[in-house]
Amino acid sequence: MADSFTIFSFAARNLRRKPLRTAVLIASIGLLVTALVFVLSFVRRVDSVVKVASDRLGADVIIVPSGSRGAAEDVLLENKVKTFYMDKALVEKIGRINGIDALTYQTYLASIVGQCCDVPETVVVAFNQDTDFIIKPWLGKAFGRRLKKGEALVGNESAMNISVGLTEVDGVLFGNLFKMVGVLEKTGTGLDTAIFIDESNIEDILTKGKTALKSGQVSIIFARVKKGFDPSKVAGDIGDAFVEVNAVARKDIGRNILSTLRDLNRVFFVTVTLAAVLSIFLVWAVFSAIANERSWEIGIMRAIGARESHVSRLFLIEVLFIGAAGSFIGIIAGTAVSVFLGKHFMMLKNVTADLGTGERIIIGLCSLAAGTAICVAGALSPVRRLKKLEPLLAIRKD
Amino acid sequence: MSQIELSGISKEYAVGDLTIRAVDGVSLSIEKGDFLSIVGHSGSGKTTLLSIIGGIIRPSTGKVLYEGSDICRLDDDRVSEYRNRKIGFMFQFASLLPILTAKENVILPGLFGPAGATARGKAAEEYLSVVGLSDKINSFPSQLSGGQQRRVAIARALINDPEVILADEPTGDLDEDTEAEIMDLFRKLNKERQVTFIFITHNGDLARQAARQLRMHSGRLEEVSRIPA
Repeated sequence: MADSFTIFSFAARNLRRKPLRTAVLIASIGLLVTALVFVLSFVRRVDSVVKVASDRLGADVIIVPSGSRGAAEDVLLENKVKTFYMDKALVEKIGRINGIDALTYQTYLASIVGQCCDVPETVVVAFNQDTDFIIKPWLGKAFGRRLKKGEALVGNESAMNISVGLTEVDGVLFGNLFKMVGVLEKTGTGLDTAIFIDESNIEDILTKGKTALKSGQVSIIFARVKKGFDPSKVAGDIGDAFVEVNAVARKDIGRNILSTLRDLNRVFFVTVTLAAVLSIFLVWAVFSAIANERSWEIGIMRAIGARESHVSRLFLIEVLFIGAAGSFIGIIAGTAVSVFLGKHFMMLKNVTADLGTGERIIIGLCSLAAGTAICVAGALSPVRRLKKLEPLLAIRKD
Repeated sequence: MSQIELSGISKEYAVGDLTIRAVDGVSLSIEKGDFLSIVGHSGSGKTTLLSIIGGIIRPSTGKVLYEGSDICRLDDDRVSEYRNRKIGFMFQFASLLPILTAKENVILPGLFGPAGATARGKAAEEYLSVVGLSDKINSFPSQLSGGQQRRVAIARALINDPEVILADEPTGDLDEDTEAEIMDLFRKLNKERQVTFIFITHNGDLARQAARQLRMHSGRLEEVSRIPA
């Protein structure tokens, strides 16, 4: 049985001699890695959601009223309920800009429970079915016809709230009765929580007077550019021609969020770095104590033939075990925190897309490497000091 | 060629502003199979000299030749290998690692050598049997008496089949019967395997059992008696 006594079982025995101390070290590395996994998941999730959502919008350029770009991104990327309006006549004028291939527009209305509507607070999107190329790709095979007046479609994320999908339900929107007739496929954009109606309903909604919308207004114009035209250049031309609008190319959509994210990244980076430094100090302090406690034993080992590399190897195994165990716990805890607590953060609250398994694995591996490296870094100096001890002095000191 | 050749060995320690010379110009030739005792007062430099021969510390001046090679010039890996393969060291105090069993303590030097796990385990059991502790292989040091711990340390010193045993007061705190048993074991190994023994003792009777008797005084070494082989 004891024939299996190796440097690994020796290291394991050393870790077991003070289980509480080992557990505290593992727990501290675990906490650090938990924070790291959560932060990386948070940042990656927001970043990828912005990119995925802007890619999936289906338009090369979006045009919104001047000063409403942030609000538009909030609606399109973060599912926030906001409204903004501009003159519908702009649709035709912008259509004349060189390079525009197709245009469509949408009008956003905010539903308020108890005042106008009996559905949870959300954005109601009125769209033109003749020109639309934003909603159409997500209608799916299940809904293979045009929406009629008095009918509505529900975004994928809102379907459960309104019980659509299980059965057809009626709902009151701005004083008008609508039949919820279907559910949009998941888009991964802010549209997943909206309700969609044909723009022919706008007149009835205006008649009831339960919205701030005025006749002849739209919220947003989506443009496709012709082949060979640069969307940024077209957006610039639109902005130059019409001071009352902001035109944004698809690649620039979400820039505000991404720039906020960059600032958040910096805050996270500083926080996690400080936590990592703290962990290095903790590991250093603990291993300094361990080095003092075990200097006599190391002296004996050196006297009976252990090389410096044997001493390093013994401690490296112990350190790697602590680092790996802490990191594994941290990866599990960090993933759980990012999944369960993510919804409590405003930036993630309305985000629909989650991280893929591949991304989670990469985050896990990075965190495992970081947790283990931090452990090794902390133990490096005490172990170096210990292995350089002159055996006789170490033995006699005791 | 002598097995071990010391020439002009000195060892100085700095203690504050003072420099203490623990070993002062020692020269000595030791032949293979010598059975040699060193006596002397506390602080006379015996342990320091033994540690220099064992490659545990380096002398301030002088040479230690082992079969013609100067061990003081070896790098850490080579001198560790020398300590591991050529020397079996017995300390003057209990030197077993408390978290390891008797068998694991005996195996320990084997971990740093080339032997495989199975060979190490078998050898450990064999040497524990030689020192009469077959029934204690899984006992921890705290479960063993002082004499039993000494015997485990002897088995540990023997596991790699060393050519030289350096023993610092090997029977220091043992009763007469155990002391006699251990000295018998030393003589047996010395005769049967030609293992060189150098041991330090305060006990004059014990010292006189050695073929060569040396005395240390203030770091200097003198040969007291020598029985021709």
